[in-house]
Amino acid sequence: MRFVHTADWQLGMTRRVLGARPPKEAAGGLTGEAQARFAQARLDAVSALGRLADERGADFVLVCGDVFESNLVGPDVVARACEALGSFRTPVLLLPGNHDPADAACVFRRPDFVRRCPPYVTVLDTPGVHEVAPGVEVVAAPWRSKHPLTDLVGEQLAALGPASPGTLRVLAGHGELDVLDPDDDEPARIRRDGVLAALADGRVHYVALGDRHSAWTDDADDRIRHAGTPEVTDFDEVDPGHVLVVDLDDRAAQVVIETVGRWRFLRHDARLDTDEDLEALDAWLAAHPEKERTAVRLALVGTVSLRQRSRLDDLLAAHDHAFAAVEVLAQHSELATVPDDADLDDLDLHGFAADAASELFAAASPGGAADDEARDALRLLHRLVGTPR
Amino acid sequence: MRLHRIRLRDFRGVHDREVTLAERGVTVLQGDNEVGKTSTVAALDLLFDAADSSRRLEIRQAQPAGVDAGPEVEAEVSTGPYRFVYRKRWLRRPRTELTVIAPAAEQLTGADAHARVSAILDETMDRVLWRGLRVEQHTAVGQADLGGQDALTRALDRAASGGTGGTAPRPDPSVDDGLVERAVEELRRYRTPSGRATGELRTAEVRLAAAETEYERCRAALEAVERDVAARDRLDADAAAVRTRRRAHAAEVAELEDRWAGLQSRLREVETARGRAVLARERADAARERREARDALVGAVDADAAVVTQATEALAAHADEHAAARDEREARRTADAAAREASTAARQQADEAARAVSAARDRAELADLAERLRRVEDATAGLQRAERVLAATTVDADDLADLEDLARDLMRAEAARDAAAARVELTAPEALTVEVDGETVMLAPGETRTLPVAGSRAVSLPGVLEVRVRPGLDEAGRDDAVRERARELAERCEDLGVADLEAARAARRGADDAARRAEEHRAALARELAGHGDAAALRAAHDAVRERLGETGPADLFSLAEPAPQADVSALRRASDAAREAGDAAARRADETAAACRAAEDAVRDADTRAAVLTERAADARHAHARRAEELRAAREAEADADLAAAEDERLVQAREAEREHESLAAALADDDPDTVEVRVVNARAVDERLAGEATRLEREHAETTGRLQAAGLEGWHDQHAAAATELESAVRDHDAVARRAAAAQRLHDTLARHRERVRRSYVAPFRAQVERLARIVFGSSLSLEIDEDLRITHRTLDGTTVAFAALSSGAQEQLGLCARLACAALVDPSDGVPVVIDDALGHTDPERLSRLGAVFTAATAADGAAQVIVLTCTPERYHGIGAATVVPLAPSRRPGERERDREAPPAGVDDTPARAPGTVVDLPRAPRAG
Repeated sequence: MRFVHTADWQLGMTRRVLGARPPKEAAGGLTGEAQARFAQARLDAVSALGRLADERGADFVLVCGDVFESNLVGPDVVARACEALGSFRTPVLLLPGNHDPADAACVFRRPDFVRRCPPYVTVLDTPGVHEVAPGVEVVAAPWRSKHPLTDLVGEQLAALGPASPGTLRVLAGHGELDVLDPDDDEPARIRRDGVLAALADGRVHYVALGDRHSAWTDDADDRIRHAGTPEVTDFDEVDPGHVLVVDLDDRAAQVVIETVGRWRFLRHDARLDTDEDLEALDAWLAAHPEKERTAVRLALVGTVSLRQRSRLDDLLAAHDHAFAAVEVLAQHSELATVPDDADLDDLDLHGFAADAASELFAAASPGGAADDEARDALRLLHRLVGTPR
Repeated sequence: MRLHRIRLRDFRGVHDREVTLAERGVTVLQGDNEVGKTSTVAALDLLFDAADSSRRLEIRQAQPAGVDAGPEVEAEVSTGPYRFVYRKRWLRRPRTELTVIAPAAEQLTGADAHARVSAILDETMDRVLWRGLRVEQHTAVGQADLGGQDALTRALDRAASGGTGGTAPRPDPSVDDGLVERAVEELRRYRTPSGRATGELRTAEVRLAAAETEYERCRAALEAVERDVAARDRLDADAAAVRTRRRAHAAEVAELEDRWAGLQSRLREVETARGRAVLARERADAARERREARDALVGAVDADAAVVTQATEALAAHADEHAAARDEREARRTADAAAREASTAARQQADEAARAVSAARDRAELADLAERLRRVEDATAGLQRAERVLAATTVDADDLADLEDLARDLMRAEAARDAAAARVELTAPEALTVEVDGETVMLAPGETRTLPVAGSRAVSLPGVLEVRVRPGLDEAGRDDAVRERARELAERCEDLGVADLEAARAARRGADDAARRAEEHRAALARELAGHGDAAALRAAHDAVRERLGETGPADLFSLAEPAPQADVSALRRASDAAREAGDAAARRADETAAACRAAEDAVRDADTRAAVLTERAADARHAHARRAEELRAAREAEADADLAAAEDERLVQAREAEREHESLAAALADDDPDTVEVRVVNARAVDERLAGEATRLEREHAETTGRLQAAGLEGWHDQHAAAATELESAVRDHDAVARRAAAAQRLHDTLARHRERVRRSYVAPFRAQVERLARIVFGSSLSLEIDEDLRITHRTLDGTTVAFAALSSGAQEQLGLCARLACAALVDPSDGVPVVIDDALGHTDPERLSRLGAVFTAATAADGAAQVIVLTCTPERYHGIGAATVVPLAPSRRPGERERDREAPPAGVDDTPARAPGTVVDLPRAPRAG
């Protein structure tokens, strides 16, 4: 029996790093455009995994939670999602997760979804055993609210009797295992012991999990797996962009990891002290292929002069247009701008202007108050002196 | 800049003149008015500013009148490292030539030359200062605008920085002023002069505010949805709880309802007993009522008997009254008949008396009428007689008049004849008798008798004489006329049937008399017939009276008895009156008796009526009594009185028994407290209802919440919220960046401005020192000045008295202004310096101070490399005080033609070529230029 294990489609997600649409600007501006392409990329990933399931002859596609970014996504998001699902040729099982729980506002019960949803799509919004094919059962542990007070998977396992002979059981759950995130305060953590026990005594044969955006396999039993998101959503994700093609029998699971995601969210730490460092950063940024599908987060450390700082700003501005986003992490950046003597000499000022420049210089230097405003004023002075009269 | 020489050709009044100036110190150009002093300065300005193609007003004015030559100016100038000769001609064959002598020889013409000179001057000379240090003619020497002058700023900068001696050429500090301006421009991009946000900063603030609002809106909407989701869960739980409670409550309700049903049936029993008791009591009451009715009936029968007795008595009492009334009526009727008879008799008597009076009156009237008739007949007879006379008369009034006329004509004719006839006078002295025409005429003595001779006359004395007198022919004619007339008269009389005129008159008189009598008779007739019309009517009246009197015989006026005397009539009338009164009295008495009779009749009728009523009553009473008695008898026959009383007692006993039974049952029920049970049942039902209501409400709220959630689902709040959050973050970042830039601009501007202020303040001191040094020469050593940062003199203090510059006298202002300019010239670096040009100033300065000012000029230009000072004046004595002055007298420069016309002797030494030394004027005669 073969099926595709995926999760965390997060349809309708936007990323702030991709920028806002400037007010009163027509749609399709630079920044709005990146958001739109990112949204389209998520749908493309879904379509891609649909084709994959078809090519591999999977019996069904199991989506373990967070199909939508929220229960309150707009009708356009729902419509496009249904369009993407409409291209599938494989039955699809959708499990409500923490982003789209089966509560009163559940997106899967909204008329716009119900009307467009293809007939081979099943929403696992009732907990318990669902027979999806002869000899194949899926045990669903859907989220019923945003803040459950119990281990939903554990509850299902506790209520589960032994499987009838010849029946394969897949448990569909959403959430972190307690080993991955040992947080005692969170009541909804999935107890690993219970899961392992259920696998051991054959009540279930595979535990398909969602919520962790990276692909992950349990050390003790490789039948406990996170599929991860099919398209990256953030800089801190370890291994996103995959789906799992699972071949299952009552003893073992053969899993093939397939890549469908095309975007990248890169974090880059760089030290900037010299002009060479600047050039290296420039080169690193320039070397990237597919910049339009790449968001970069820079964490910069070091000390630069006014002139270098201006150069840095210029090169970042230049690259910013090519990439989907270039973000300089403010809270992690420890990049100090310290004016040096060359900066002051460049000004070539005399009289009172020279005195004023010296004062600002003193205020901006680390020996003084390391005054950001004074540094900015100095940079402005540079610019004004550079302006022809 | 230094001016070495200036040459003007055909410039205003100057034909051709070259002035060479002293290299340094004061040059005084002195000359009379219109000699061309001011033109020299104006020409320099034009040379430097105006291209040779220019046709500016100043240039057109510079062209001398009536000369076909363009104005031309040439100057030799050194400025900075350069020394050059520059020449320009305008209007006619315009031309520009530049010969640079140092540092490298250059030769340029046309626009290139102009551009090169402009470049050299811009590079080496402060043109604004060049204008600022000039004092124009006829203008007050006021404050020079020295603040911000580049050359002066450089000089003061040097002075302020302690005078480095100018070893290295310092860069131009005026760049810094431009820097401040640009800093202000930069700041204005973010903030208005009053400090309000504008431009980018304002846009960023607006965007941030809008983003915050939008984010808040979306967040609130999301929270509302979350609340609704939570509310739905809570509603589901509540609904379940309500269902549980309703189920639990249902059992309690059932138990209470059973108890309540049991009590209900017993309650019905009590109700039945009560009904029975009421019924028994009602029956007892009925028996009592029947007995009471029987008693009442017995009483009524007795009462009826009494009424019958009363009625009978009343009837008997009335019979006597009735009889008396009838007797009275009889008596009245008898009296009435007697009175009526007496009345009739009296009336007859009265009538007879009245008839007697009437007859007497008729007789009197008859007599009167008979008398009248008689008179009428008399009058009628008289009238007939008179009319007969009238008819007999033939002569009427006209005929008589004719006769009268004829008689008059006759008399006239006779008179005419007599007058014309001859007369015969007869006079007899003695009585004599004569016969005249046969008549004897006696003549008395002396009497004369005249005889007319109409026809032939014969006078004869009897016997004596016969005298015949015949008239002539005329007289005969007249006599014929008389006779004619007489004949006519006679004929007329005959016609009328009268003898003569007299007879006619008599006839006429008789006729008139008859007419008068006829009138009288007619009047009498009218009088007698008054009231009757005519005689026939009168007679008819007479006959009528006769008939009344009963005399049917033929009317005989005179056979009637004489009318009764008046006395008899009166007596008759009195008797008649008495009889009438007696009749009236009798009638009255008859009326009275009739009334009495009627009253008696009425009384009888009343009595009859009453008797009938009483009889009726008695009958009724008897009838009623009989009926009651019958009723009582029948009732007693049906049920005896004793039976009724017995029934009453029995029923009363039964009623009491039934009531006792009801009371005992009710007491038994009350012990079981049905009210409490009822209250509890009602309460249980209310609780049930309330729970049902609660369930309904929960259901409704559930539906509402679900509806809201469905609507919210289609709003896409998540997308909106995400967009708002992104926008907010972006707006915050944008605002931070702009705010940072604004703060930087503010900081830079403030820092620069602060330092510039400090520097400007430092410039004031050296400038003030220099101005004071010069001004003390004029005003004395106690002078001190206050000078602001724009290098303007604001106050002067002299002998401890401080006065604002504007309040100083014109002279003092002039002197201080001059000192400031000269100080400036003294301060400025020789390479930067420009000549100070003073065009006839110091008009307000007194001679004492003029001499002191001379010393000022000297002091200002004493330094090595000090600026040139050029003074233009027409009053040289003003500037005599200047020690080291080069004086250049200017003479008019005229064209040769003009000179010839003026027949002026050429000046001495005109052919000598003067040496070109400073302070000389070369005024060469030369041939007129071609063209």
